[in-house]
Amino acid sequence: MTSSLLAIKNLSGGYGDLLVIRSVSLSVLSGRAISITGRNGVGKTTLMRLISGSLPCSSGELKFLGSNIVRSGAHKRFSTGMSYAPQENIVFDDLTVEENLTIHYRDSSLDRYNALFEKFPRLNERLAQRAGTLSGGEKKLLSFSRVIAEPTQLVLLDEPTEGVQSENMYLMGQVINEEKSKGRGFLIVDQNLTFLEAFTDTIHLIDHGEQIFQTEGNKFRTEIESLIAI
Amino acid sequence: MEVLATFTLNFVYSSATLALIVLGLALVFGLLGVMNMAHGEFVMLGAYSAYVVQSFSANFLWAVPISIIVCALVGWLMEWAIIRHLYRRPFDTLLATWGVAILIRKGIEAIFTRDYKSINQIMPETVEILGITYPSYRLLLIAIIISLFVVLFTWYQKSKTGLRIRAMVRNPELASAIGIDTARLSSATFIIGVSSAGLAGVLLSPLVRVEPYIGLDYLLSSFFILIVGGLGSLEGLLIGSAVIGGSDALISTIFDKTAGYMSVLLISILFLWLRPDGIFSRR
Amino acid sequence: MAFSLVVKLLPMAALLAFPFLTTSYSAYQLGLYLLYGIVGQGIALCWGNGGFLPLGQALFFGIGAYISGKILQGNIGWGVVILALILSVIIPALIAGFIGALVFDRQIGSGPYFSLITLALSLLGYQLANSQVLLTGGFNGLTGINGLPGIDSYGNLYFFIVGALAVSTLFLSHLVSTPFGQLLAAVRENEERLQFLGVKTSRVKAAAFAMSGALAGMAGAFFAPHQGIVTPQVVGFILSAELVIWTAVGGRFGPVGPVVGAVIIGFLASGLRDSFAYWEVVVALVFIIVVLRLPGGVGGLGISIAKRFGINVWSQKKFSRTETVPGADQKESPTLEFDNVSVQIGPVAILSGLSFSIKQTGIHCLIGPNGAGKTSALNALTGKLPYSSGKISWRGNTLKGIRPFRTSGLGIGRKLQVPSIFPGLTIRQNIDIAIWVNRLKFTHLFSLKPYQWNISLLDELQDSFPFLKDNEELAGTLSVGQRQMLDFTMAVLAEPNLILLDEPCAGLSKSETENMISVISNLARSSKATFIIVEHDMQVVELLSDHVFVMHQGKLLAEGSLNQIRDNKEVQRIYAGGSK
Repeated sequence: MTSSLLAIKNLSGGYGDLLVIRSVSLSVLSGRAISITGRNGVGKTTLMRLISGSLPCSSGELKFLGSNIVRSGAHKRFSTGMSYAPQENIVFDDLTVEENLTIHYRDSSLDRYNALFEKFPRLNERLAQRAGTLSGGEKKLLSFSRVIAEPTQLVLLDEPTEGVQSENMYLMGQVINEEKSKGRGFLIVDQNLTFLEAFTDTIHLIDHGEQIFQTEGNKFRTEIESLIAI
Repeated sequence: MEVLATFTLNFVYSSATLALIVLGLALVFGLLGVMNMAHGEFVMLGAYSAYVVQSFSANFLWAVPISIIVCALVGWLMEWAIIRHLYRRPFDTLLATWGVAILIRKGIEAIFTRDYKSINQIMPETVEILGITYPSYRLLLIAIIISLFVVLFTWYQKSKTGLRIRAMVRNPELASAIGIDTARLSSATFIIGVSSAGLAGVLLSPLVRVEPYIGLDYLLSSFFILIVGGLGSLEGLLIGSAVIGGSDALISTIFDKTAGYMSVLLISILFLWLRPDGIFSRR
Repeated sequence: MAFSLVVKLLPMAALLAFPFLTTSYSAYQLGLYLLYGIVGQGIALCWGNGGFLPLGQALFFGIGAYISGKILQGNIGWGVVILALILSVIIPALIAGFIGALVFDRQIGSGPYFSLITLALSLLGYQLANSQVLLTGGFNGLTGINGLPGIDSYGNLYFFIVGALAVSTLFLSHLVSTPFGQLLAAVRENEERLQFLGVKTSRVKAAAFAMSGALAGMAGAFFAPHQGIVTPQVVGFILSAELVIWTAVGGRFGPVGPVVGAVIIGFLASGLRDSFAYWEVVVALVFIIVVLRLPGGVGGLGISIAKRFGINVWSQKKFSRTETVPGADQKESPTLEFDNVSVQIGPVAILSGLSFSIKQTGIHCLIGPNGAGKTSALNALTGKLPYSSGKISWRGNTLKGIRPFRTSGLGIGRKLQVPSIFPGLTIRQNIDIAIWVNRLKFTHLFSLKPYQWNISLLDELQDSFPFLKDNEELAGTLSVGQRQMLDFTMAVLAEPNLILLDEPCAGLSKSETENMISVISNLARSSKATFIIVEHDMQVVELLSDHVFVMHQGKLLAEGSLNQIRDNKEVQRIYAGGSK
């Protein structure tokens, strides 16, 4: 039984009066992973910011679990069930790995991360280390683990594979599949088409702030490559 | 030996009291980036709370919670009406808080007049320590302030709220993304900041003259300490207090109060010129 | 037209007639408020025009008063009086200029440092005035100050004060219409952009602050004979705070507002202060309301009311561009070299060993994924980002840690990523400032000639971007695309040899992009400039570039023509479409 997690219609927004996203529409159902890709500078991160609440929308419809969330702030969206792993400034550099993982919970238990620590033992080893000293890929793993463990229905991932080694990328994909089978939905921005092909169901291509192409299935790599080559 | 003891105790006293006074502004300006020109007025309000309690012949100890409540209320009102709307406009914040400072000053003046009030000492005058006689209330203050800072530092480093404040200051977008209500946390931080200024005022009230215009001195000292010590860290606050407190004490003793004041001003301008981020900067 | 002239002369006539229409005591009071108004005019110059707020202005007022008071204690003649006046004006001006130069050099923008330091100085002045008894009479002040020789302090001195006010008002009115005044307003609007247009903004602000000090000193000079006594209160912060309030409430955006504020509040205070204990609280509330909601104060209200009746209080003289100034001397040999440049911020390497060189004119595009360091490279070049190792050289000169305002003098022009213009100034004024780059000499600052300057390049650009001809339109009302074009225009009007454009087509519609592309390529052909363009839009890169540099992770990945880049396997890998 799939339900609509996220429904966006003609969404637009940007920075001040600089409109970056002109009109994007897409939806995410539970148990599905939707991906967004495109060249640099087309507005993918801006779109994620609009959805997560870091940026206010100029116009359009933004519905989460059936309710309009255009007016809710980012922290409210989190409490209604939306996780967000941003593309930059992805961890709290001054806090330890452990603190990054437990800061937003009442308790400080790491039990909820047991399964993830098995897949990414590096994190467990580095618990007392300041997150700012981790490598780029390790920060991404930290950020990824954090959002997976959150009790949310929709997970927004902005460039989760940037700097991550292939073995770990594969493990991340496995985790995403497991979560999908539990009914969780994913919205992923990335530029690694192999990864997206293997683990997501629908891909949207964005250019100049608008969606120009969309396809299902998992053999879209060849279709897309020519469209986004320089 | 006695001179050394006196000087050391004076130095510790001066630095400690300055640190307590700056604390509020360090929270508000150092963490939130809000230049609260009314900071000194909250210290003044704390002192006047002590006067009001005294005029009702109540125990001095009541003044502590009353000053905190008064400052928290005024601070809440100020944040709600003014500060909240100006977080990204530092110049307007400076102006608006300057206006509030004037308002508080004039309000107190209208109610209490400009006469100097004094708060009675609650402790025996002096005590023997390190071979000299020293005012006992000062020693009590030193003890209170040191304990307060130890508690505060521990809390800030270890507690969840302290953690969340630190997270919010460095990475507000991520903090919101994990469910931290940054608006409410900022408001709470502001209120804590002004309340601690009020606490400083209450504790210092038996030792200073209480009149509507004492706030400015505290504002300027706090600001200079933050320039020298750097924004956003406790070490900076303490070092800054020591440097400013120490030089003021030293120069004032050798020359006079005005020279002491001038030396503080000069040191601050020097730091502004050579090391604008202060000694310990985290921002 | 004649009506508006009458409106302007009316206040002066009213002031002159005042003593005859009321009691001489009222005129005496008014004289004092007019003096405060003059100090306020100086504050308005700094605050309303320059965007920085002096919180201790009474210091200069008091210094002027003490100097004049000291001299007038003796029985002296007019020669000495003139000397007193000159000293009262010059000494505060020098002090203010010095402080301003000291503080503004280190602090850009309107941070709290300047305001708090001026406040601290005022407090220091108060302490000194109290303690230096020999000089100032200490707590009791200077007494027994004579009036000006032959002038009755309770009578005719009033007309001297009105004269001083006329002088200051005319001076300030003229000042804001000069290039200096326009640069000061530009500092308020966008100090960083102005620096990239070659203006040493700290000097402009310091000069304005010095002028305000001079005005305050002049007012102080009249205060001494007017009151007959000078006490430490005249230097203190209470008066400083009140001066700011009067300026704010009266209106900080022109020379008339502060006088109106001082006079209105002055008279109300003298009437109400004793009967109404909370009078000052009310004033403080009014100040807060003005600051939050009514920035133009009473004066601003007056101007908008006058506008409704068709009276234009600010009639700016209009100039046509009649004098064509010669174009800049553009040399060949545009050698730019980055040699192993590295910048580290914390654990992150922003640039790591960036090396490339440009030896030919033409358009060079700088591309690369997000975070590659493209804008950082430009920032390192123009001094905005200090670099720790390596070397950047332009025409054989090493560029390291240059201050932004020096870049235009070196022949470098820059358009920042986000379009950056002066929103509160008109299009005409924005363009003026760009034309003045490298051409405005000190002697031009106070003349009106530079408004007539024109360069042929401007005509071409106005043909390509017709909206640039809307002289009176405020730049802040322009759309994002138009701001981009205006910003571009300003960067190239200085006719630099090295033009750095950061995303010139961002936010432009399809047709605007095509227009911009043709303007850039025409300019590249006709001038001998070298362009470095950071772009994401590959269409733009394709149409414009003679040469392409690809950056990745802080260093150069590849270079060549766009086709060569496209065939490069490594480039394909880092761009979308590759697996990592």
